[in-house]
Amino acid sequence: MNIKTPKTERKRSTSGRGRKFFRNTVVIIIVLILLFFAGMHLLVLINGNDTTAGPEKLVSRILTPIQNGFQKVVNWIDNYFYNLKLRSRLELEYNTLRQENEQLTYQAMLADELQHKLNVYETLYDDISINDSMNPLVATVVGKDPGNYFSVFVINKGSNDGVQNYMAVTVDNALIGYTYNVKPNSASVRTIIDSEASIAGLITSSRDQGTVRGTLGVNGEPMCRMYYLPEDHLPRPGDMVVTSGVGDLINDGGVSKSFPKGIPIGTVRESTRGMESNKQYIVVEPLADFQHVEYVIVWRYQAIAEDVEERASSNDELGYVPLDTVMPVPTIQIGSDFYQLAPTLTPSPEPTLEPDASPTAEGLLTDTPAPSVTPNGNLEYQLPEGAQTNNSFDFTLAPTATPTPTPPPMDFTVEED
Amino acid sequence: MLGKILKFILLTLLAYLLQVTAADYIAIKDVAPNIALALVSIVTVALGRKYTFVMAMTIGYCTEIMVPSLDYINLLLYPVAAMLAALAFSDKSERKIEEERTQGKQGKQINAHIRTPLAALVSILIFEGIHLLYIYLTGVELDRGHWSRALIDVGYTTLLSAVLQFPTRWWLGTYKLKKAR
Repeated sequence: MNIKTPKTERKRSTSGRGRKFFRNTVVIIIVLILLFFAGMHLLVLINGNDTTAGPEKLVSRILTPIQNGFQKVVNWIDNYFYNLKLRSRLELEYNTLRQENEQLTYQAMLADELQHKLNVYETLYDDISINDSMNPLVATVVGKDPGNYFSVFVINKGSNDGVQNYMAVTVDNALIGYTYNVKPNSASVRTIIDSEASIAGLITSSRDQGTVRGTLGVNGEPMCRMYYLPEDHLPRPGDMVVTSGVGDLINDGGVSKSFPKGIPIGTVRESTRGMESNKQYIVVEPLADFQHVEYVIVWRYQAIAEDVEERASSNDELGYVPLDTVMPVPTIQIGSDFYQLAPTLTPSPEPTLEPDASPTAEGLLTDTPAPSVTPNGNLEYQLPEGAQTNNSFDFTLAPTATPTPTPPPMDFTVEED
Repeated sequence: MLGKILKFILLTLLAYLLQVTAADYIAIKDVAPNIALALVSIVTVALGRKYTFVMAMTIGYCTEIMVPSLDYINLLLYPVAAMLAALAFSDKSERKIEEERTQGKQGKQINAHIRTPLAALVSILIFEGIHLLYIYLTGVELDRGHWSRALIDVGYTTLLSAVLQFPTRWWLGTYKLKKAR
């Protein structure tokens, strides 16, 4: 029994067969063309003759622009990925360099800080080594009073280190203040710009002495004023003001204290004297930098009473001191009275105490030599060489050009009885 | 049907163009994969031997004309390598399967996704082997560098065919055909 296949299936099978035939035909044609082309190419290779190179040239002509365009697309994609990679690498390098830069900046800052410390230490060392006889002590500033009217700071040395009240404190070869409120491990320093501070000063050019006081509490300026100057001189701007070493201006429970002589305080900025009668002072600009104080030197110098008295009475330039002269001093006898206008400087031989040639053992045991901590020759503060205090002041106290007052002319008229 | 042939022609052209332009850009340790053989092996499993031959022949001919390195080698090697792989890993005909069954064998096709990289492996092994043989015959002593480059190429091409088979087969419509069956 024959089973009839439906029309649709018959159609489908017919079309499927036709499609297969067509496909096979196309493939066979392609294969034949390819074989033909390959054969022609082989002929070209074998013969070396270009007459059969037509198909090659045709394929090359077709493929070249396509390949060229495709190559451009590939290059574009490659460039895109390359740029992406480059960008990420650049970002990475940027971050790395940024980190390195930060590290280098930090190291540079550290180096600057160390260099600054080194400079400070060098200055301190120079200062200390020259004035070693004044028993210096380096201290670190550990606290500051941020007040607007008083200027004090705290150092990390106290009575355990030999610090006492009213010891001079310097920085960079300039007076910055003095100690007070000394505790075992710390001490306060009142700066010279504090209106509570009062220091005996001396103008180096004229040798005029006065009292230096701070003005911070007076007008808010970090300056000093110098009072109680003699009225016969007008200081010039730029003149150096130093400590006079006179100790009776500062009292610590009735005990006189004094600073070493010659510590630079500041320079004369202006003078109000002669302008207004009620402003009899000069303005002194301090040398010390009060804003950047890190290390200071405390001068644990203790002047013995004789030295202080000697210094206090050494301001004899304004007084009348007759000089040695070869000229005879006139002596006038009036009536029965004998006036000697000036003492005749006739050197009189004074007995000198010559030491025994052979000291006894008893003498050695009983005589205790006086402590020579501060010999008279080292009483003055010495500036290191090349110290930047912009002053023309020579601490050997050279004579100044300022004329010293001459004694008033003496009246030689004689009244007869 | 025309769509299938058109897709095949485009794939052939793409295989050739990728081989001559893009292969260098995806090189690993300066060894470029053989993209053309990887795609040919995909076609071997997906479309059959006829298409494999046409594709391999076309690519071989185009490379021979456009980027000739050695005379005859590309023209001959691509079809030979591809067809040898196709003999082993292309779809078996119904008659072949029936023959195997009568011989008491299992008579089954191995999974196409496994056959594709295997076909690529065989074809690239032949391709690289003949190249190494040619180099050896010219008097160059094969060293570790040659072997390592060949191995990298073999591994890379096989891996590439394993990866590319999924989009390529999908594009050729092989998965659609399987669903219809």
